[in-house]
Amino acid sequence: MSLLLASVGFGLITSAVLAVAAVGFTLQFAVTDVLNLAFAAVMTAGAFTAYLVNEQGYSVWVALVAAMAASSLLSVALNYFVYSPFQRRGAAPITLVIVSLGMALIIEFGIAAFAGGVGVSYQMSQGRTITLGGLVLTTVQLTIIGISVVVMAGVHALLRYTRLGKAMRATAANRMLARSSGIRAGRVIATTWAVTGALCGLAGTVFAIDIGTFDSSSTDIFLILILAAVFLGGPGNAYAAMLGALVIGLITEVSAVYIQADYKYAVAFVVLLAMLAVRPSGLLGVKT
Amino acid sequence: MYYLIILLVYAAVDVIACLGLSQQFGVAGVTNFGFIIFQAAGAYVAAVLALPPDTANGGFQTYIGGWHLPFPLPWIGAAAAGGLLALPFTFLVGRRLRGDFAAVGLLVTAVLLNLLVMNYRPLFNGDAGVAVVPAPLTGGMFVGTSSSYQWIFAAGGLIVAGAVFWFVRRITESPYGRTLRAMRDNDKIADSVGKNLLVLRTGALVTGGAIAGLSGAILVSFIGVWSPGEWSYAETIVLFTAVIIGGAGNHVGAVLGAVLVPVGFEEITRFISNNNPNLPPNLLPSLQWVAIGVLIAVFLWLRPQGILPERRRVIALPDIGPARPAGAEMTHARSDAARRRSSGTQILQATDVSKQFGGVHAVAGVSLSVDRGTLTGLIGPNGAGKSTLLSLLAGTERVSGGQIRYQGADVTALPAYRRARAGLVRTFQLASEFKRLTVLENLLSAAPGNRGDSFAGAVAGKRYWRGDEARAIARAQALIEDFGLTRHANDYAGELSGGQRRLVEIMRALMTEPDMLLLDEPMAGVHPELARRIGHALRRLCEGGMTILMVEHELAIMDEFCDPVIVMAEGSILAQGTMGELRNRSDVVEAYLVG
Amino acid sequence: MSAEAQADVQAALQADGITAGYGGDPVIRDVSVRAEPGTVVSVVGPNGSGKSTLLKALTGVLSVSAGRVQVQGRDVTRLAPEEMARAGVGYVPQVDDVFAPLTVRENLEIGGYLLHRRELAPRIEHVLAVFPRLGTMLSRPAGKLSGGERKMLAMGRVLMLQPAVFLLDEPTANLAPAIAATLLNDHVRQLAARGAAVLIVEQRARAVLAISDLTYVMGGGELRMEGTPAELSASPDFVASFLGGHRSAG
Repeated sequence: MSLLLASVGFGLITSAVLAVAAVGFTLQFAVTDVLNLAFAAVMTAGAFTAYLVNEQGYSVWVALVAAMAASSLLSVALNYFVYSPFQRRGAAPITLVIVSLGMALIIEFGIAAFAGGVGVSYQMSQGRTITLGGLVLTTVQLTIIGISVVVMAGVHALLRYTRLGKAMRATAANRMLARSSGIRAGRVIATTWAVTGALCGLAGTVFAIDIGTFDSSSTDIFLILILAAVFLGGPGNAYAAMLGALVIGLITEVSAVYIQADYKYAVAFVVLLAMLAVRPSGLLGVKT
Repeated sequence: MYYLIILLVYAAVDVIACLGLSQQFGVAGVTNFGFIIFQAAGAYVAAVLALPPDTANGGFQTYIGGWHLPFPLPWIGAAAAGGLLALPFTFLVGRRLRGDFAAVGLLVTAVLLNLLVMNYRPLFNGDAGVAVVPAPLTGGMFVGTSSSYQWIFAAGGLIVAGAVFWFVRRITESPYGRTLRAMRDNDKIADSVGKNLLVLRTGALVTGGAIAGLSGAILVSFIGVWSPGEWSYAETIVLFTAVIIGGAGNHVGAVLGAVLVPVGFEEITRFISNNNPNLPPNLLPSLQWVAIGVLIAVFLWLRPQGILPERRRVIALPDIGPARPAGAEMTHARSDAARRRSSGTQILQATDVSKQFGGVHAVAGVSLSVDRGTLTGLIGPNGAGKSTLLSLLAGTERVSGGQIRYQGADVTALPAYRRARAGLVRTFQLASEFKRLTVLENLLSAAPGNRGDSFAGAVAGKRYWRGDEARAIARAQALIEDFGLTRHANDYAGELSGGQRRLVEIMRALMTEPDMLLLDEPMAGVHPELARRIGHALRRLCEGGMTILMVEHELAIMDEFCDPVIVMAEGSILAQGTMGELRNRSDVVEAYLVG
Repeated sequence: MSAEAQADVQAALQADGITAGYGGDPVIRDVSVRAEPGTVVSVVGPNGSGKSTLLKALTGVLSVSAGRVQVQGRDVTRLAPEEMARAGVGYVPQVDDVFAPLTVRENLEIGGYLLHRRELAPRIEHVLAVFPRLGTMLSRPAGKLSGGERKMLAMGRVLMLQPAVFLLDEPTANLAPAIAATLLNDHVRQLAARGAAVLIVEQRARAVLAISDLTYVMGGGELRMEGTPAELSASPDFVASFLGGHRSAG
């Protein structure tokens, strides 16, 4: 029983990290129409930026802000120099997916060339261990969950209550009509890259904090988890991504109790593949 | 010298893999980001089939099999394994899932399988993999063999690569290959001319998987070890880069890409890095990957068609003398069929058919029947539901209610390609040619009953399908002459003018030897003079026994060619009669004026 | 109205010699239309006569190869759609006319995207006064509205900016006749009542004539006739232009 509870704890942490990434990914896709498979590589870029800042003696939480800025800039640059020119030329969606894989290689192995491919860790304390009704978590883990909850609330507020968020949703729903309403879609899309890029850097850093030691390829598998969360809920829908992240995070960790831990991701992927086959629009599917 | 042998063997392996991918991605348009796992599976199967039952290695590795099969059985087994592994993937590439989502699904599957294999010891020995795989026809590993054996092995690898090249070419240049390319260009239209997308895509996955498996077998026989970590999804990207740079859809390009990217670029730089111990160990390999990424983006931007673009298939046409009036050819072809099927006067009946899109009744309880041999017009104001009705009759859209009977049988539940095969064929309002097929190929792609239009037929070779192909070409040529497009027969359909593309579509529909055609504004954007020629051709087709139901907004065309004419308004049928009668009916006039 | 008299009044919308298409041959050739403030001007014609193409050319969705479009005296010919909105043009397309996943209120807010935050609430009140029906369904997603409600929302969304020119592309397509009549008689007319010019493209010629001050008849990508509803209704050529069958392009 306690094992199960402990796994639920792990699941919640995975879900928390995953939710930040999945929401960023799905918003990016919804507004910009780019299925950006370089997302996980940009996460890594953020995590390494945080590492460099952390090495300079700053707290990891300060470094986290630097990571968000770096990933945000990198995402805006990717759109400006790569994706947007391809889109203006009318490239097929599948071409953009292949290009984004190329970008993933450039970023991931650019970091590897720079960092030498060795594992690194942040200098930080894990904080006290807290027991919450059977769940055993460190303060750092609690902080991660807290950050995720705050980010989800923030994304909700952004989308529901701000001018920018509404413009993003309008652009995602019907770009031409949004433009006819006076929305400068190009700017909204650039801003979306900036916002989702910041989420990406945040996700990368909390991911790195969570796993302890990371290197340039640590997020490879995590990309697959992000895709699982996004497609499970329904691509393009932020709330669906939150739900997907919760389900995938819990499934992977809880299943590790019952089957060999090495297979824990397999369960999530099987769920995703079944979803793609049976209901491609996802649990809460809207955008097709 | 040994280095040269290494390069030759890698060249053989990569060329084979790239040919498989070129067939899958370049020809059939299936983007398989999981391609590398088929190679891995083939390599594993080849390894365990070749290994003796208990390895001499003190049992440090576990694996099933151990039959110690003689060459070439392990390689054949590898190809079979690659092909079989493709079967469970096919649910991702059916009709419903858009291409980039399917690609993501395949990527996810590849990573998943890689993870499973890395962790499952009883079957795969976990991430340690298997080792000491004997080279073909020897007791020991490749590295211990004599130099003459190594040369022969390298030559053998290249011969297999040559055979695979011959094989994929045989498939691609057959009618079946043409069908694959048609599906790549526009799957919805391929569906509408009677192609079963699921079977075609499964075929592409299985073929590519088998070829990838074979390449894996050669590789594992050579290096003697199989470790699952070597087959990460990034390796798939290398192969994609090779095919894109070489030229997707051009097999010579695939060979060139294989030589340039995985062999030339990767292996040679690896050689440099191994010989420069002063460099940081990770630097060059990492920069290699960066370069691969840059190559992908740069090539897709500057030369998306690759160094050697897919070539245009020019089919020489004999001169068949002066053009006969349009439709003459079909008239003769049809009259027999028409006599055969003269039972009953009605060919198509719709009963209370309806369709709703999110609360809007696009078609609201339409009942109609179409008599054999008529050229029936369907008119109505914008938004009357004409195109939707056509889609329901053709099976492109499913009805929300009601029943559709064709040739006396209930076809309500049949998908579009099944109705097309039964002789009920539609065209589309929007341009829907196969862009990277020539005009002639567009027509040929729709010819039914070509023996070469199946995987087995393609493998059987040109001799097996040459007769069918020649008949199809003759029929296509006659149609092209009739419709005055002879000059453009070997031009890409995507490069024609709007009006000419409409003609290609009508001709392609006629190539299916339909009993009934459903035409959606076939004359939109067509020069008036050409529109009248089309009208005359359609009229003659009907005199020959064909039935045509045609949506058209140009009422002059209705006047001249169509009888009867059905008027739709607001999703229902308002009136039916000759155009002259309809013009005198106040409700029709009002429908047009009041909308 | 004489040519001299026209020059005196500044038109809200004036388009001269518009030629446009989708690449390849132009779909409309040398079309000139004009709309005064406070009037409803309709463009009618059979399917494929080029009506919708004209509207797309006017709104910047489609590029104009020749001719000039002016709004309140300002040349807006090749402005991007987002700048058209700023220049005072409100466009209601025939399909995809609302943001389906967004609620009715959010659709209106997006319609007022260019407004200052403080102006938003009073404008929404104003729009709801024009379309009271929408007030009862503010939190419903636009995709779940009925055809008529949806079109009201599309018009209300554009009304948020109180543009100088409304461009309506077949607003009654797919609507039941009674609903179409309400929409035209009650609502379209109201848009003009506050001084805006309304250019409406319609299939329902007779119904739209009843609310128009001026009507253009298109056929084959060109202007065929022009006149007041009374003049056109009296003309035998008018009915013929719909059912007589001139050859036309796409």
